[in-house]
Amino acid sequence: MTGILYHGQPNGPSFTVLAAAFEKGVDLDRRPIDLVAGDRHSTALPHPIEVDQSIEGEGPVMLVGGVAMTDSVFLACYLDEVGSGPAIRPADPYARWQMMAWCRHVIERVAPAAAALGNAAAPPPAVPTGIASADLAARWTQAVEGKADATQLADSRNKIVQAVEKIEAQLADGRDWLMGDFSIADLESFAWLAGMRPLIPEAFVASPRIDAWEARLRARPAVVQALGLATVPEPEAIWAIGPEINRWG
Amino acid sequence: MTDVTLYHWEPNANSGKPMLALFEKGVAFDSHYLDLLNFDQHRPDYLAVNPLGTIPAMTHGKLVLTESTAIMEYVDEAFDGPRLMPADPVDQWRTRWWMKFLDQWLAPSFSMIGWSVFVGPSVRQKDPAELEAAIDRIPMPERRTAWRKAINGAFSPEEMTESQRRVGLGIGYLEQALGQREWLASDSYGLADINGFNLAYAMPLSQPQLCNDELTPNIMRWLRAIYARPATRACWALGRTDLARRISLLESEPA
Repeated sequence: MTGILYHGQPNGPSFTVLAAAFEKGVDLDRRPIDLVAGDRHSTALPHPIEVDQSIEGEGPVMLVGGVAMTDSVFLACYLDEVGSGPAIRPADPYARWQMMAWCRHVIERVAPAAAALGNAAAPPPAVPTGIASADLAARWTQAVEGKADATQLADSRNKIVQAVEKIEAQLADGRDWLMGDFSIADLESFAWLAGMRPLIPEAFVASPRIDAWEARLRARPAVVQALGLATVPEPEAIWAIGPEINRWG
Repeated sequence: MTDVTLYHWEPNANSGKPMLALFEKGVAFDSHYLDLLNFDQHRPDYLAVNPLGTIPAMTHGKLVLTESTAIMEYVDEAFDGPRLMPADPVDQWRTRWWMKFLDQWLAPSFSMIGWSVFVGPSVRQKDPAELEAAIDRIPMPERRTAWRKAINGAFSPEEMTESQRRVGLGIGYLEQALGQREWLASDSYGLADINGFNLAYAMPLSQPQLCNDELTPNIMRWLRAIYARPATRACWALGRTDLARRISLLESEPA
């Protein structure tokens, strides 16, 4: 297949999609863009609803046959369908439900927390022009001005601690990967947590299983390839604006 | 006999999604109605099924499933019957994109308005001590906060304005998408439509100035087409309150 992938540094959603493409052997025309500078909003990219209103915020954009697709977990599902490499989703419907529910938790609870903490630690320099979504623009402004809500940041730290505990518990039976076999859940969980070690070290002081899991993950050829695309020494420290923190609290 | 049990409230929002998917697939199930306004979902017998106390939940044999959108994908894959996820991988992606957009962006705005005008006032007449005890039984802290806000009418004007802004925009996005194709995510009826209908079926009543035959003809066409399906009729017949009965407005002819 042919497709164009606009992506940022291999962290967060860009990591998930890059690693999934390598896992599945899908040869994409990769076009690195600077998500932190707001390149995603330039006229060089198409701007249908699915790009401008993506829940994920500043994630990668994949163009296939004139359709611009976003949201990393669903891009990874797409790559699993069309690629020739080993499956990255379970075949059994219940196991697949478990994986989708796990990813939903990461998307809805972990990713917004990680992005908020990442933005607070390394604020983007300026709000780019051309942002179509008012709520995404508001998150940019908040991040650039360093006006993150203290309560939300404290809650975000809790969410990261809880996510690490959840992974530790999931790995407690000695399994190598979160769903048993390697899957998108491993990629998506790593994508948002890799950069949390230096920011929330207390979450990782007693996490031997997650440490070993991360080492296994980093040893996978597809992950090595994805991380090898970084153009900075620490891609996990680069944070574009992420998904919104749930408005209901 | 069936080995499927669905724990649900009204055919509306999250509960209605797996209900309608099961009806479309032709899967027989035991319906276990939980009265959300009576806090049935936080009682011990239900917490034994779903410790988080969220609705809906489904059991299939010994398996327990939660998260309404993920349950729908399971129902589609685990049972015979018409495929509700499109076959084309791009259409599959679009189906999931829309379901996430509805679940995480548009639905919370609708529900903030709905809780403010319906759920809050409905439970506010109860004895305050009884209410407080009911809230204390809620397992998830996020849900405790939401219930307190709904009961106390504590959504700020800014929050309500933002929700109304999103509802207006969301209706526009739906109209635009349904102007491009017959169904929300592909050329065949599917999971995105089931998800969207549960959110949107009462829009012509709740947002008449934004959603009507003149302004949003494609949404109206889509709602009426889904309402005409036998599965939809059977599903909404399980409703017990005026909430579900709002669906009858779709019996009207195009203006």
